Amino acid sequence: MISTFDSRILNVVIFLPLVFGLLIAFMPKGEKSQIRGLTFIGMLLSMGTTIWAWMRFDPKSLVEFQLEYRLKWIDEIGLSYHVGVDGLAMTLVLLTGILAPLVVLASWTYIDERVKEFHIALLVLQTAMLGALCSMDTLLFYIFFEAMLIPMYLLIGVWGAEERQMAAMKFFLYTLVGSLLMLVALLSVYFIANPAGARSFDYASIYNGLMAGNREVALCLAKGAGADCGAMSATAMAIMKYGPWMFAAFALAFAIKVPMWPVHTWLPDAHVQAPVAGSMVLAGVMLKMGTYGFWRFAIPLFPNAARGHQKFFAILAVIGIVYGALMCLAQKDIKKLIAYSSVSHLGYCMLGIMAFTAEGATGSAYQMLNHGVSTGALFLLFGMLYERRHARLMSEYGGLAKVMPVFTAFFMIVTFSSIAVPGTNGFVGEFLVLLGTFKSNLPMWIGVAAATGVVLGAAYMLWMVQKVFFGPVTQQENLGLSDLKPREYAAAIPFLILIVVMGLKPQPVLDVINLSTTRFLARAQFANGDANPPNDGKIKVWVRQLPVDGVAAAALEQPTEQGTGRVEALTIRNSAGAIKQFPAVMRQPQLMPLQQ
Amino acid sequence: MQTPNFTMGDFMPVLPAAILAVGAMVLMMSEVFLKSASRTYQAVITVLTAIVAGGFALQNAFEPARLVLQGYAVLDPFSSFMTVMVCLGCALSGLLAAGFLKHRNAERGEFYALMLFASAGMSLLALSNEFITLFINLEIMSVATYALTAFLRRGPRSAEAGFKYFILGAFSAAVLLYGAALLYGATGATKLNELAVLLPAAVAATPGLVYAGFALVLVGFAFKVAAVPFHMWTPDVYEGAPTPVTALMGAGVKAAAFVALIRVFVALGHGIDHQIPFMVFSGLALLTMVGGNLMAIPQRNVKRMLAYSSIAHAGYLLLGVAALFSPAGSSNGEFTIMGSSPLLGANPNVANDVFKGVLFYLLGYTVTSIGAFGTLAAVERREDESRGNTWDLERLAGLAQRQPVWAVVMAVCMLSLGGIPPTVGFMGKLLIFSAAVNGGMLGLAIIGVISSVAGAYYYLRVVVYMFMRPAPADAGLPVRHWTTELALISSAVAVVVFGILPGPVATWLSRLGMLFGN
Repeated sequence: MISTFDSRILNVVIFLPLVFGLLIAFMPKGEKSQIRGLTFIGMLLSMGTTIWAWMRFDPKSLVEFQLEYRLKWIDEIGLSYHVGVDGLAMTLVLLTGILAPLVVLASWTYIDERVKEFHIALLVLQTAMLGALCSMDTLLFYIFFEAMLIPMYLLIGVWGAEERQMAAMKFFLYTLVGSLLMLVALLSVYFIANPAGARSFDYASIYNGLMAGNREVALCLAKGAGADCGAMSATAMAIMKYGPWMFAAFALAFAIKVPMWPVHTWLPDAHVQAPVAGSMVLAGVMLKMGTYGFWRFAIPLFPNAARGHQKFFAILAVIGIVYGALMCLAQKDIKKLIAYSSVSHLGYCMLGIMAFTAEGATGSAYQMLNHGVSTGALFLLFGMLYERRHARLMSEYGGLAKVMPVFTAFFMIVTFSSIAVPGTNGFVGEFLVLLGTFKSNLPMWIGVAAATGVVLGAAYMLWMVQKVFFGPVTQQENLGLSDLKPREYAAAIPFLILIVVMGLKPQPVLDVINLSTTRFLARAQFANGDANPPNDGKIKVWVRQLPVDGVAAAALEQPTEQGTGRVEALTIRNSAGAIKQFPAVMRQPQLMPLQQ
Repeated sequence: MQTPNFTMGDFMPVLPAAILAVGAMVLMMSEVFLKSASRTYQAVITVLTAIVAGGFALQNAFEPARLVLQGYAVLDPFSSFMTVMVCLGCALSGLLAAGFLKHRNAERGEFYALMLFASAGMSLLALSNEFITLFINLEIMSVATYALTAFLRRGPRSAEAGFKYFILGAFSAAVLLYGAALLYGATGATKLNELAVLLPAAVAATPGLVYAGFALVLVGFAFKVAAVPFHMWTPDVYEGAPTPVTALMGAGVKAAAFVALIRVFVALGHGIDHQIPFMVFSGLALLTMVGGNLMAIPQRNVKRMLAYSSIAHAGYLLLGVAALFSPAGSSNGEFTIMGSSPLLGANPNVANDVFKGVLFYLLGYTVTSIGAFGTLAAVERREDESRGNTWDLERLAGLAQRQPVWAVVMAVCMLSLGGIPPTVGFMGKLLIFSAAVNGGMLGLAIIGVISSVAGAYYYLRVVVYMFMRPAPADAGLPVRHWTTELALISSAVAVVVFGILPGPVATWLSRLGMLFGN
């Protein structure tokens, strides 16, 4: 029985919020508190399903993509509804699930107009985000990726601050430019990866189709410029010719989402104008779609181009780190400061990925979670302040510690997490990223420059805290501010718990990420001119076939001698029913060594 | 003279068009003897006729493809799909028209009759396989739409639109006919499949005649599908026509013209150097995509904006047509000839993708544009007509609070026009662009997606006004009519459902490779 559920958990995870959205669509407009309550319950249940999925996810398993579910969709073009999660996606799904109810709590009183539409938008956004994280089909990913834009656009544009329409439009168009170019690249990959008749948008089919070509290109590039590479396969020729461009299109789409310097300019506007919930979701989950996209698509599909541009992207990431921090120092607006700190923190994530070392990638993945927690919490806490005072400038505050002691304490803890004080979650991530950068083949100065970001980060955050919370109370209005209410405690305390727990006991999460990291590295590795590049079995993506014969299934049918170990693993995990439904086609290579 | 030996099977393809024409005549007769003032039943008859005709067309869809009526017409999934689409468009715009005309005291039987005649013309145009037949069907369709355009005889605008449409339409049809005559002169054939066989010899003998005929036919069609630089009439005519008629024009007329265009040029492409149609259609596609989108940006008049957007969408379709003739994919630029089918000349590697993409795109555009123009028709008020701001963006301000259902329908349609998933517009764009990429037209595909970002800007502006601007103080009460609501909701549902589950339609469309049964 349990296995039947296993293969469907992700469907529940993805679509439960949408179901609640539909329920709310039928409720009368005036029932504001009922709508809030129902959304909260829906988000709690959604969180429950993500936790359930987390429990069912086996970090030690040989199976890379777990909890898979696959359904025929549009066979003609090889599109299937295919969901599944690996370690990284699982942790991000969990983060998305945990943030959701807190987001609803955060906007409980803040949003009082068009409550119904607001909560529907939140629920739809939740479905789109979870769907994008779980998608195993590139086109399905793209659909969810784009679908995220609409509710977010409405959240910023309808419930935002004064300049909301400009910010919403900027956000939408910026993201759309990147993602449409990515769509063209995706279509090109689709045609290149497999011969006619075997084409599929499935991630595994595209990845496996490109793999041999990528290997040929890597060998050719290793010979040096101008060397004669002899006859190459059609796929390899196409990768040679168009690969860098397709990588550029993917990278641009995700770099805009991250956002990396210099395509970050939409972020400060969007964050400043968005309502609390919008900022929390944007910082907490949506920005990770960018780093996740690099990790899952841009780099594994084009390892040669990624290797070739490693330094370029690492330098952009470092510029982002330092530039974001310097911009923070110059800000008077607290929300803008937090937004620029996001640019800086996401720079670490990108640097960690681009280091191509185990520490760097693990740290980057952990930093994604940290940033979601700490920046989400910062936006949440500042939102509480904004609700009381409706002011964003630091000069409007001062000496709040005397008036709101508990709030100040909470804010301090979150600040420590944001500036990576040991014992908080931020420390683990940034430390690993910096370690990975120094160990990598990147020049020393990149690591050094990135490390200055930590110092600058401490400077701007503590400076802001000092101006806002300490010293004398300068404004009369601030004397009457009330401390936290029970609802606000309920929203803030989970963040504090996460900060401390993830700081002191990162191992359970790192365990889940670890295998993903080794696979990511192995896939990025074979373009670095190693004498012993990882063999096919190590990097191939193994997924469940379509239930019935179809275009996509044909493309994936590649039995190898390495398949046997995997079927046993599956038999142990799943009941007979599941095996019967999906004949023994899930195969997986041998367990990879954890250390490269 | 021999009496042709027709069987029932010969008449099956034209049956839907005959049903539409009979429905039109019934409506005209009933109008003559009408005593009461209530005329909503006429819309109901229109819709029922369209549904019955569409049902018969669906029956045809699963017939094997073949030439009928001595080769003057062709029954293939292409023509039957187009007929179904025309019937769908006719039914939805008939529903829209009921409320619209009632509000303006302009409900007349001849309106619906003209609509049905136009639809019959579209259906016949899609199955014409011979130049004279094609010309006559084009005229049946066009004359009915000229009359519909000028149907509301109030104010100079609709007269201007009708007159402009008539002059340019007649001119373009004449150019088309002239081109066909030159081709007849060169080959001695008017049937497309015979033309295709005779063309290589004719090109060798009289290249000037063939190329001149090719160019004239091309110009004639370019006017009909409103490709830049032959698009000038579109904004004025779309704006001046009654809005339900604009919906029908955007949906049906353009779609039928596209199907005829593909049929003709797939035949003409044979014998002519393939670089020529490829270059011509690529150029047209480029100009039309970029031009349409750029010209739509400054429009504050939503109806004009939608007119320019329909030009841009014609550009995406032309991109698909260009992919048919793309040299990439075929071995050494040589085209594989697929028997005696009209696929001669087309790149067989991408032909299937193109047909699927174009037809799905047309279906998507049909339902989407009916939803969009339909919302406009529902929102517009007679009082504004004298002030000339009937379709200003301001009129849509705060629609989300005033009429949430309409606002959602309009928003869904705008997203679909912009190609944002999960709508049918995205699926259509996906199929077209994938055909273009498959044809090796990466550059044009990139220009296409970038120009569609410009599109997203002006479509979203409508959403901004509906959802993020307060309603103007003088916003009157909306006029509601059950037929309008039905049309709007069904088109919005179609936009989303076809966007998520294009499965059945896509399966049907993949049978298009069997054009002509071989």
